[in-house]
Amino acid sequence: MFEHIFNNIQNSGIGSFLGKQNHLLGAIAELLHIAGLILLLASLLVTGLRLMGWGLVSLSVADLAKSTSRFIWLGLALLVISGLILFVPAANIYYPNKIFWFKFQVLLLALVAHFTLYQYVTRSKQVHLWVARIAALIILGLWFSVAFAGRFVGFF
Amino acid sequence: MSLAEVITLINDSKLGTALRESIYMYPIVEGIHLVGLAFSVGLILFVDLRLIGIFLRQLPVNQVLKPLRPWLLAGFTVTFLSGLLLFIADAEKVTKIWLFPVKLALIVLAGLNAAWFEYRWGKRLQTEVASAALPAAVRLAGLASLLLWSTVVAAGRMIPYLAYK
Ligand code: HEM
Ligand code: HEM
Repeated sequence: MFEHIFNNIQNSGIGSFLGKQNHLLGAIAELLHIAGLILLLASLLVTGLRLMGWGLVSLSVADLAKSTSRFIWLGLALLVISGLILFVPAANIYYPNKIFWFKFQVLLLALVAHFTLYQYVTRSKQVHLWVARIAALIILGLWFSVAFAGRFVGFF
Repeated sequence: MSLAEVITLINDSKLGTALRESIYMYPIVEGIHLVGLAFSVGLILFVDLRLIGIFLRQLPVNQVLKPLRPWLLAGFTVTFLSGLLLFIADAEKVTKIWLFPVKLALIVLAGLNAAWFEYRWGKRLQTEVASAALPAAVRLAGLASLLLWSTVVAAGRMIPYLAYK
């Protein structure tokens, strides 16, 4: 079933349009993918360190999370848009790649954790330090795994 | 010994050969080089955004710079060491690409900018109060840092792009 969907994506109007573009578009998409990657991971890192009791401790977790939030969403938006530009015209190449599937399974988990665990620890008034630390480790672990998997896709 | 001979020696060294030929080590080191940028370039980006005035204006610069400094320095150590390993593994190929020396030169420039900033402003900013407008030179140093490190990242990514095309 998925094989069929991936094939349709690549041969869709947008897929063949993107496939016909100059290599430059691919290079730009790769650069935007890294820009988004650094923005997203660094914002999560600043907040994650604070949750663990390190880094920008002169602000409360809630205030810091408010300030990093727009950079998290900007980073994610850049990643999704540039990622689709890379993926859509070449969907069939990625279909059999196990690491590609792994990346999106972990991405799904990371998003679930972001809308549940992350919201909980950055918004509650009283969170035990060790709960916050373990939550930060889980959140950072998931997002950094997505990034590592993303880099490994091209190798295997 | 000429530079070309040194490069061949590095390329054919035990370490270089082992890294290049290993199935897992090379991708892992490249992954660390890339993802580690979140610690080095990523954290310095937030300091730069504070200097420019886009991030955490409610805090004095020193309360952003000082607590992040050990983390970002550790990040740069990882980025440099992993970059060095990638270079040792691929010395002959990578030095054939004109962008590689440009990338190294840009790293030196970005480093000089940071050193100049610390020398000129490091002490003074310790007494700066939040909300006071920063001198234009400080905001400019932040902008220069942001642009220089971004260009290093772009050059770094374009090197494998040029090599494998
Ligand atoms: C809808 C979302 C996304 C799509 C469609 C997408 C798609 C892609 C594609 C097609 C590639 C190229 C793989 C290759 O051929 O080597 C790639 C690379 C990559 N992706 Fe994503 N991606 C998405 C989100 C993310 C996220 C959220 C992260 C990190 C947290 C991420 C991290 C990476 C990394 C690190 C690379 C390797 C970049 C490099 O080689 O320089 N991606 N992505
Ligand atoms: C802050 C400093 C640095 C930044 C921002 C940076 C950035 C990058 C980036 C984005 C890549 C592409 C990685 C990928 O897509 O997987 C890369 C690859 C690489 N970097 Fe760096 N780098 C830095 C320092 C260094 C240093 C100091 C060296 C060596 C002395 C180095 C050597 C390399 C090599 C050899 C590659 C691999 C090229 C290839 O795949 O053929 N880097 N770098």
